[in-house]
Amino acid sequence: MARNDSLTDLSVVRQPVETAQGLPNAHYIDEGVFEEEKHAVLFANWAGLAVASEVPEIGDAKPIEFLGIPLLLVRDRADKVRVFQNTCRHRGMVLVTEPKKIEGAIRCPYHSWCYSTAGKLVSTPHVGGAGFNTHEAINKDELGLIEVRSHIYFDTVFINVDGKAEPFEVVHADLLDRWKEFDQPMYHGGAESCFDLEVKTNWKLAVENYCESYHLPWVHPGLNSYSRLEDHYHIQEPNKYSGQGTLVYKQLQGPDDAVFPDFKGLDEKWNTGAEYVAIYPNVLLGAQRDHCFSIVLQPNTLSSTTEHIHLYYAEPKTSEDMRSRNAHLWKTVFEEDIFVVEGMQKGRHSPLFDGGRFSPAMDGPTHNFHAWVAGKVQEHRDMQDA
Amino acid sequence: MSDLNDAILAAHARSDGRALVGLYTQAADGANDTNTSCFFLTYAYIYALELGMAEADTLYVRLDANGRV
Repeated sequence: MARNDSLTDLSVVRQPVETAQGLPNAHYIDEGVFEEEKHAVLFANWAGLAVASEVPEIGDAKPIEFLGIPLLLVRDRADKVRVFQNTCRHRGMVLVTEPKKIEGAIRCPYHSWCYSTAGKLVSTPHVGGAGFNTHEAINKDELGLIEVRSHIYFDTVFINVDGKAEPFEVVHADLLDRWKEFDQPMYHGGAESCFDLEVKTNWKLAVENYCESYHLPWVHPGLNSYSRLEDHYHIQEPNKYSGQGTLVYKQLQGPDDAVFPDFKGLDEKWNTGAEYVAIYPNVLLGAQRDHCFSIVLQPNTLSSTTEHIHLYYAEPKTSEDMRSRNAHLWKTVFEEDIFVVEGMQKGRHSPLFDGGRFSPAMDGPTHNFHAWVAGKVQEHRDMQDA
Repeated sequence: MSDLNDAILAAHARSDGRALVGLYTQAADGANDTNTSCFFLTYAYIYALELGMAEADTLYVRLDANGRV
């Protein structure tokens, strides 16, 4: 791959927030840098792909393209969610092209090689000639589907495409500990509790906007009545994650002041508190006493991103009307952010824009993310040089 | 055989894997030699395997008996 360090100087990004500048324009508008970041940031780390609830039943399979890679999300016979390259080991044919239930085996539509839901190659029809289904040169044990490393947290399916990252539990040990109280069953709210937003922006700008509370009074004036800027605090762990917390989380109330049931055993700080964390590179999580959410940012191209939003509750059966209202509320908030992330994307085409200056008081979480990206890209460049 | 052939083609046309299992098994049963029989049994087995049908087990046994799996 061509080196891109002639395009961007990352040293200034990794300086302390007081003197740092943001990632250079090329990280948002240059195809070469996008390709570099694809490997350095998205393939080399634990990137969000989907949520496990997208394959709720055994045998459910869903094809998903991730940065051009055809992947297959499957819930196998043992109820384990797996991610495979959606490619037959024979002639490279894509196996599954639309969501479906695998009743028995995954059959390649080309020559009908068949795989179990656990990825094992189970049959190779006519591979030894008509009616001869074995051949000494074809060892089925060596030709199972290629599985992509995956880990599920907050129902979110994280993948490490290059297979070289430290285990998820190691990389994100701090966050897992911070939110260990939420390590309990959470239930997807169903069809009305998930929605997608198509955004004309580089995926990183959605992360950056999510991390900080600075914009809240300006972009989400409706939140001011109960969630004022001064009620928020920064969350920032260098080289790990960042986000924001609030001290005045207010539950949605339904008829007769009904509320969603709480997650069990939470500390009393969660009575009025909530936290919103970007788990790098591309997943945005929200933790609240009565519901959580996961947003998987799917980078489609350099300047287009799909935000997949899923809401979860503490109990499997909650008021459908309230779930619908809650989803509508969050959709309104997230839609309010669209003009910002699209506007920042357009702004990156100003050739003399220098990445921008951070407010040391307000932009720490955003700078934390920039510094992490810059570090990962620099690591990648250093590896290329070695 | 012509009727069976037509039925197989029709089942393929409507992507009716369950019907194909029975039809290919029927074709295998009517074949005059082992190779032809195993050729058809392979199709029956693969569709049964894909669809998780119980017939997959017995079809496998028949193919295995002829050293074909």
